[in-house]
Amino acid sequence: MNALVPAPSVPVLSAPALSVRDLTVRYGRAGKTLPAVDGVSFDVAPGETLGLVGESGSGKSTIGKAILGLQPPNTGRILLHGTDITRASLRQRRVTAIDLRVVFQDPYSSLNPAQTIGQTLTEPLQVLRVPKDRRRPRILESLAAVGLPADAADRYPARFSGGQRQRIAIARALVCDPQVIVLDEPVSALDLSTQAQVLNLLADLRDSRQLALLFIAHDLGVVRFLAQRVVVLYRGQVMEAGGAEEVTQRPRHPYSIALTAAAPVPQPAEQARRRAAREALGVGPAGATPPAAAGCPFATRCPLATDVCHRERPPLVAGVACHHADQVAGLRLPTRAA
Amino acid sequence: MLTYLARRLAFAVTTVLAASVVSFLLVHASSGSPGAITAGAGATPAQVAAENHRLGWDQPLVTQYLTWLGHAASGNFGVSLIDGHNIWSDLMARLPVTASIAVFATLLSGVFGVLIGVAAAVRSGLADRAVTVGSGVALSLPQFWIGILLVYLIAIKAHLLPATGYVAFSASPSQYLQSLALPVITLTITGTAIIARTTRTGMISALRQEHIRTLHALGTPPWRIRYVHALRFAAAPVVSVLGIQFIALFGGSVVIEQLFALPGLGQAAQNAIGTNDFPAVQGVVVIATVVVVITNLVLDLVLAAIDPRVRTA
Amino acid sequence: MRVPRALRTVGGVLSAAWLVFLLLASVTASWWLPYQVDAQDPAHTLAGPSASHWLGTDDLGRDVLSRIAAGSWISVGPALLAVVVAFGIGIPLALLAAEHGRWVEHGFSRFAELLLALPSIVILLAFVGAVGVHPWAIMTVLGVLLSAPVYRIFLGQAQSLRTQLYVDAARVNGVSSLRVNLRHVLPAMATTIAVQAAQLFAISVLIEAGLAFMGFGPSVPSPSWGGLIAAASQHVYDDPWLMVPTGVVLALTVIAANGLADAVAGGREREAATPRHRKPRTSVRAATGGTHATEGMLLDVRDLTVAVGGPDGPALVTGVSFALPPGTVLGLVGESGCGKTMTARALPGLLPEGVEVTGGSVWFAGRDSADRDSAGRDSAGRDLAGLPDKELQAIRGREIAVISQEPMVALDPMFSVGYQLTQPIRRFRGVGRAEARRIAAELLGQVGIVDAGRMLRSYPHQLSGGMAQRVCIALALTGSPKLLIADEPTTALDVTVQAEILSLLRALVRTTGLSVIIVSHDPGVVADLCDEVAVMYAGQVVESGTVAEVLGQPAHPYTAALLAANPHVAEGLPVPERLPSIPGTVPAPPDWPAGCRFASRCSLATAECAAPVPATPAHGAAKVHGAANHGTGTVRCVHPLSSPAELPVPHPVERGVPS
Repeated sequence: MNALVPAPSVPVLSAPALSVRDLTVRYGRAGKTLPAVDGVSFDVAPGETLGLVGESGSGKSTIGKAILGLQPPNTGRILLHGTDITRASLRQRRVTAIDLRVVFQDPYSSLNPAQTIGQTLTEPLQVLRVPKDRRRPRILESLAAVGLPADAADRYPARFSGGQRQRIAIARALVCDPQVIVLDEPVSALDLSTQAQVLNLLADLRDSRQLALLFIAHDLGVVRFLAQRVVVLYRGQVMEAGGAEEVTQRPRHPYSIALTAAAPVPQPAEQARRRAAREALGVGPAGATPPAAAGCPFATRCPLATDVCHRERPPLVAGVACHHADQVAGLRLPTRAA
Repeated sequence: MLTYLARRLAFAVTTVLAASVVSFLLVHASSGSPGAITAGAGATPAQVAAENHRLGWDQPLVTQYLTWLGHAASGNFGVSLIDGHNIWSDLMARLPVTASIAVFATLLSGVFGVLIGVAAAVRSGLADRAVTVGSGVALSLPQFWIGILLVYLIAIKAHLLPATGYVAFSASPSQYLQSLALPVITLTITGTAIIARTTRTGMISALRQEHIRTLHALGTPPWRIRYVHALRFAAAPVVSVLGIQFIALFGGSVVIEQLFALPGLGQAAQNAIGTNDFPAVQGVVVIATVVVVITNLVLDLVLAAIDPRVRTA
Repeated sequence: MRVPRALRTVGGVLSAAWLVFLLLASVTASWWLPYQVDAQDPAHTLAGPSASHWLGTDDLGRDVLSRIAAGSWISVGPALLAVVVAFGIGIPLALLAAEHGRWVEHGFSRFAELLLALPSIVILLAFVGAVGVHPWAIMTVLGVLLSAPVYRIFLGQAQSLRTQLYVDAARVNGVSSLRVNLRHVLPAMATTIAVQAAQLFAISVLIEAGLAFMGFGPSVPSPSWGGLIAAASQHVYDDPWLMVPTGVVLALTVIAANGLADAVAGGREREAATPRHRKPRTSVRAATGGTHATEGMLLDVRDLTVAVGGPDGPALVTGVSFALPPGTVLGLVGESGCGKTMTARALPGLLPEGVEVTGGSVWFAGRDSADRDSAGRDSAGRDLAGLPDKELQAIRGREIAVISQEPMVALDPMFSVGYQLTQPIRRFRGVGRAEARRIAAELLGQVGIVDAGRMLRSYPHQLSGGMAQRVCIALALTGSPKLLIADEPTTALDVTVQAEILSLLRALVRTTGLSVIIVSHDPGVVADLCDEVAVMYAGQVVESGTVAEVLGQPAHPYTAALLAANPHVAEGLPVPERLPSIPGTVPAPPDWPAGCRFASRCSLATAECAAPVPATPAHGAAKVHGAANHGTGTVRCVHPLSSPAELPVPHPVERGVPS
């Protein structure tokens, strides 16, 4: 049983907005396949942004789907404002999960091309049975909140660019005045400059509306910008959890170190230094061997791995799941002199 | 792979059983009864009832079905109510006729269809439009109508081929081929059109794939790109359609056999149904379904041989 | 009012017209029929067409036209019923199966397979035998049988549509499953429904006619078309004409139904990317440069222009120039729509259908660089832009190789990795199969694949993204090329895998002297791998130079803004409150102004930026001839930045107008 994630850097005024406890999701039969999500726990406080970071196969998207009710979990609990919604059907969630909304990754597939923006934004209001005369004002409100003009409501998605569509998707999430939003890689498909615009928008919303945001991403730099806390996932398990600044700048798990080391920076000299340090880490290549069923999932690639790592799964202690957490300091990339 | 085959086999058996149940129920749903036939016209109700009792018609449906099933499993489909011939041996004698037509027509459709379809896909432009329009017309023509026209033009007017009748291969190979020529040509017209379209669509789609761009970027000669790589990629839907064609020809041979007076399974079906010859109806449905099911199994194997993704799943 | 797809082609219009005409004629038949259906005229039997009987008479002197018209509703109506029944059963079941998956889908699909395996004609006949000849009932049964293929087709469609994120979004928002199906899934299937309905109708008409021909159709006195043809076939000896009118009407109806289906399915197929043979294009000499590649350069691109559909079409890339010495790595960096991919693909002549090089030259030294001309100077190499496709084909793979963004689909799924490697090896190096296999294993080792033997036996779908990209790189190396064009090779890969691939490329450059042009949207990738970089915006190179110069001291406002928008702040620096973002969006090619294309979004723009801006030397480069650059920096700006302090300030959320 994993220990709870340490207290968030933002003071907790009340119970967590979103709580995930020991979540396990498996595709296919037990014994035949490894679980996509294996005993993951974390909390998101009201008004807090939590970054869920991992590469493909880390289970981060599956966690998002389980929270939203799109993928039934095998074991574990999901609590929204204290209410257990783990196995709530989508129908039941109309009542229990009114406050939970989503923004997806692909701006080109998240809007129905045959509906106008107004129709797309009206649909959630229809489900909530918002009176008809109140619908249009709320749509215009949310469009304004994302920086789009009122006449956008009468146009079709084809008229908008990728960045604008993502803003519409955010507007759709906002139109019902939610408290918690799950963002599944919302900027991964966008160009750098567009990404910056949308990130700024999300930061504005984060600050002005006290929303709890679960931000799923593969890019540590983006997460560092937006989130207060970060959870690093590898093959369905939590490797490290902590404040965004600490995890991204002073990672304490070999995988987090490898992840931060791998992201290239646009300064050639610095990048050359980082590359040399990364190669000196001695982390095994991805995809070389399949993960073991027992023990630490990173053991087959980890330079610090020993016997116990292949046998026993390391518990999450003080935010790090590693048998040799004390030796990690020696691995870390040398930071630039301030 | 083996479990996949075992599952398909199990499913095949289930299908044949289901078909036999369906025809059994249909047969019993009709207003007639076997006793009425064997007792003859003008028989009294009492005589009919007696005959029905002798034939087991008044037993519970389940019992009747299971009895039939037991016999059928050992190859005994019973005898015809009309003339007492052995149903199994009659159907086995008719099978080569229907099979010959279906096999020849499918083979020729496949060869011509693939050639035309590939040419249309690769050439585009006028040739392509001609193939699209031409095939659209060809597959819309009613086969029996085309058959009659061909009989009129080729058999009656030009005296080139016999209009009707069937000669077994063992009796005379050349006459066998001649007797099959007109029916096969009739069926091949439609078949070629369908295969040509499927091939053309499949090739066009194949040539748009990303891996074709890779081959192009490697400087692979165009003929190799088209006829080794694109064709292989397009093969799966074409093979599927060929299988469907074969099955359709088997099932749809009824009309053609009547037109060309060929003693095949279709004729057997028509006769049996028309005369309320219940055991014969059962027999024909079962044989026809077995052919379909075997064809599907073979199709699955061929698809697995072509597409590695199916093989290693 | 948009013209419905069906009516956009000649075939579609004709088909629709015939079917409408037929429908009207059959419904109003009793009003305009010239003769009673069974009015006999013993004096004129088996007559050909005449003034009084337009289509002739049959064996009892009955008017053929009238009989065809009278029989049309019963020939066509039940077929429509079959289609309605088939769709009425098939589509709801498909939607249900797609939604609930697993057991529901399994059950329905097995049942559908069962239905499909039944010999339909025989079942129909058995049904006729059981209940007698009732066309409407028979066709209802046909509809039930046909619901199986309908189910299969639409199950696939529905499953694919349900992977669209807007369906998930609706479900999360609590939209009821009925509404999700009706508003989000079904409308997208409309085209397929129309096509399949028309085709199924055609098949049903034929089946019904066939049954009637055999005697299982509605009987006298008003038979359906099949029955008419059957009766006519009795007289094929003495009145062959009798067969024709009914057959033609039947055939036309079926042709029209299929024609309608074709029209609706329509132009989608015609965007075939069938590689056609390019006609040789006369080389357009660059206005600036000389007639040969600059000495010492492997690749010298001068003033490259790429446009859609010929020199008068909209340009995608204009005036691009850069040079590549051997053994160096050049990065083409920019955002989507800047033309970097088009530029890279233009070099070996791999532009998509309809796009071509319309100006400039691409001088490539290649293998001929070892030759010397009569004066003893190095041969100039060749202008690839002017070569016919056949000659380019000889260069592709052998001298210039390409790797692309999605390695998983870049490999042929039908063949093993070993086959795909050995084929080009044999073609390029002229060796036998065994030797080719040995070389293939060696190449796999070179790209870092440990178990080469197993890899050679594997198939592409069994590989991970990183493995597949390594195989693609090995494939690119089979011809021992001098230049590798890498089109966003790591964009689709995880960041740790990306790091490995970039290291691999670095190693290959070092050990084999390979030159690389890498296209990327990520300046970090460029900083890691490249020696030189060209930043592209709206079809132009706005800045070029060494990576240290361009990324460290950007001279162009766009480059500076792009780097500032990057959330990957260097270590030790604090995270900004907001990221400096560039207002507005990239202009599309039709909207490119004559002057600086970045001016509308640039905070430093002035009136002078409205005039065309040439590329000028930058980054302390010495004066050079003309505007051709030789590895020294250029910038295309009226006010190049001289210090990072001139970076544009952060912008608030932009009130942009949708384009």
